[in-house]
Amino acid sequence: MDTGSRRPILSPPRGFRDILPTEARELRVIEQALTETFAASGYMPLEPPMIEYSAAQPSQERLIQFLDTDGSLVALRPDLTTAVARLVAQRYRETAGALRLSYFAPVFREEPAMTAGEREVVQAGVELIGASGPIADAEVLALLVESLERCGLRLDGSTIHVGHVGIVRRLFAALAEEPRSEVLTALRAGDLVGALRRAHEAGMASEDAERAQAALGVVGRGIEQLDGDDVSELRHVVHLARERWPGSVKLWGLPNIGLVPTLPYYTGIVFEALHPDVGVIASGGRYDLLIGAYGAPRPATGFAIDVLRLHRALFAEGWRPSNARPLVTLRPSGDERATMRCAASLRAAGLSVAIGDVAETAGIALVAAAVVDERRVKLGDGRTLDTVTLARELTT
Amino acid sequence: MRPLRFALAQGLLLNDALAALRAIALDVSRVTPGGRRLVVDGGGNIEFVLARPSDIATYVERGAADLGIVGKDVLMESAARVLELVDLHFGACRFVVAAPRGALERSLDEYRHLGSLEVATKYPRVAEAHFRARGLEVEIVKVAGSAEVAPQVGLADWIVDLVATGGTLRANDLAIVEEIAASSARLIANPASYHHRRPEIAPLVEKLADWASRSSPKR
Repeated sequence: MDTGSRRPILSPPRGFRDILPTEARELRVIEQALTETFAASGYMPLEPPMIEYSAAQPSQERLIQFLDTDGSLVALRPDLTTAVARLVAQRYRETAGALRLSYFAPVFREEPAMTAGEREVVQAGVELIGASGPIADAEVLALLVESLERCGLRLDGSTIHVGHVGIVRRLFAALAEEPRSEVLTALRAGDLVGALRRAHEAGMASEDAERAQAALGVVGRGIEQLDGDDVSELRHVVHLARERWPGSVKLWGLPNIGLVPTLPYYTGIVFEALHPDVGVIASGGRYDLLIGAYGAPRPATGFAIDVLRLHRALFAEGWRPSNARPLVTLRPSGDERATMRCAASLRAAGLSVAIGDVAETAGIALVAAAVVDERRVKLGDGRTLDTVTLARELTT
Repeated sequence: MRPLRFALAQGLLLNDALAALRAIALDVSRVTPGGRRLVVDGGGNIEFVLARPSDIATYVERGAADLGIVGKDVLMESAARVLELVDLHFGACRFVVAAPRGALERSLDEYRHLGSLEVATKYPRVAEAHFRARGLEVEIVKVAGSAEVAPQVGLADWIVDLVATGGTLRANDLAIVEEIAASSARLIANPASYHHRRPEIAPLVEKLADWASRSSPKR
C-alpha cells in the first residue's frame, strides 16, 4: 500500500466485497448444511485451484484474465464444473466406476462496470461422473432439492424447472448442421425471435417452426401432448427424483421445454431452481461431452448452487440461522490467574467464552458475567452461579 | 408476490407499445406519455413502469421488471441478458454505416494509407462488433448525440447510426455504405421471471405474438 500523502484505499475492487461476520456466520450454517447433505449421498469433497489456463476454458467470455510470469494467459476459474472435468480427465483417466465429487468454493466472472454485477460468486455443487441413465439424472436432481430444503428454503410447485436439451435439439432436427447450431446459439442467448427467424431463413417449414415455437412454450402438464424418447426420459427422471426425495412440496419439478441454459456444454436433462426475489438460485444438468473435450470421454451430470443468492432467498423469507449458543463475556477480576481458570472452567462446561468486551457479536446473544473465583461467576441479575450450573442453564 | 411489472420505453416506441397493449385488452389508461407518474397500476395484478429505452434492458435483466417492450437496437447495444420473446414489428429502423456522399473512395484510400478509419457513433458496442467481424481496423469515437455531423466537422471519417427513413443522412449529405442490422420493437422478459411466473406471462406473450403476426403479415 502506498503510505505517502495519498489517502489509503479502503474499498475492494469493483464487483468484490467484504463479507462481514453476521453474514459470514449465516453462510457457514449454509455451508455446513450443504456439505453434510452432499456427504450423506456419497459425494467426496475436492478443491481445484483458483487459477486455470485461459485456453483450457470452453468459453473465453467473461473470464477475469491476467498474464502469468512465464507469459501464459491464465484466468480466475469461471466455474467449477470445467475445473472438475479437467481434473477428472487428468487424474481419473483410467477409472471406470462412478465418481461422486462435491465442492464449495468461489468462482470469478467478469461483469460490465456500473451494473452492480458481482465478480466473485460462491458455488456449492456436485458432479456425478461416469454414470448415465435416469437413475443418475434423478439422483442429482433430487440431491439439489434435498440440499435446498435442508438449508431451510421453502419450495413451491414452480421452484424447480426441468428441461431437456435433446428435445430442443430435436425440434430443429430438420435443419442442416450449421443453421441448427446457430439456432441453438440464439436460444442459449435467450433470443427466441432470432432463433425462429434463422430457422425460417434456413428453410424450415412454417408449420414446423410453429410447432417448435409452441413446444418451447410448454410447461407443466402440457408436456403430455409431446412425444419422443427424450420427453418420456424427462418425465421418468422427474418421477424417480421425487421418489428419492419426496420433499415438502407434492409434485415438485415442473417440466419446462423452454429451459435452455446459457452454458454450451449441456447435452440432456437440465434444471434450475428459481426464486421470485433473487432469480436463479441453482442450475445443473447432464453434460456428456465436456470431459471428452479434455480427452477422456465420460458421461456426467451435476449442479451448482449460487450460495450468496441462496442466502439472499433465505433472508428474504425471514430465515435466520438456528441460534448459536450464547457467548459468555467474562469480566476479569483482579486475580488474573483466577480469571483464566474461570474461563477454562466455562469452556470445559461447554460454553463459548470471551474475556473482556466483544465489539462484534455477529448477531449472537451475549451473557455478561463477572469472575468471582475459579469456579463461580456473577451474572447481571445479581445471581452468583458456579460454571456447571450456568452451562446447564444456558444450554437448555 | 408483487404485481407483474411491465417496463415500457418512453419516447418513439411508447405510443405503438400502448396501442399493442390496448389491442390485447390490457388497461393502459393510467399511463400518460410525458406524465410525471412513472410507475402506474395496470389493473389485474399488472403494473407499468416507464423508463428511458436504454434502462428498460437493465430493469428487465436485473429483474426489477419482469417484461419489457424495447427496440432490438437497444438490446444489441446493451448486450443485456434477457429473453427476446416476440418481434412486435413496429419501430422499424436499421443500424447503418454511413460516409459523406462521394467520399467513400477517398476514405478507403486513406484507410489503405493510414491503416485505420475513425468512426463516430452513439452505439460503440454495435459498431465495434460490426467492424471486428468485417476485419476492418477502426477507431470508435463515442458521441452522445448527432453522429451525423461528425464527418462535416472533421471528427470522424464515417458514422454508425440508427436510421428509420434516411432523411437525416440525406440532409447531412451522407450515404449509406452498408447495413449492419435491422431492428424493431421486441417483447423481452427476465429469464427467471419468464420461467417462474409463466402462468401469468404466457397468455400475454401469446396474445402479443398473435397481434404482431396480424398487424404485420411479413415475417
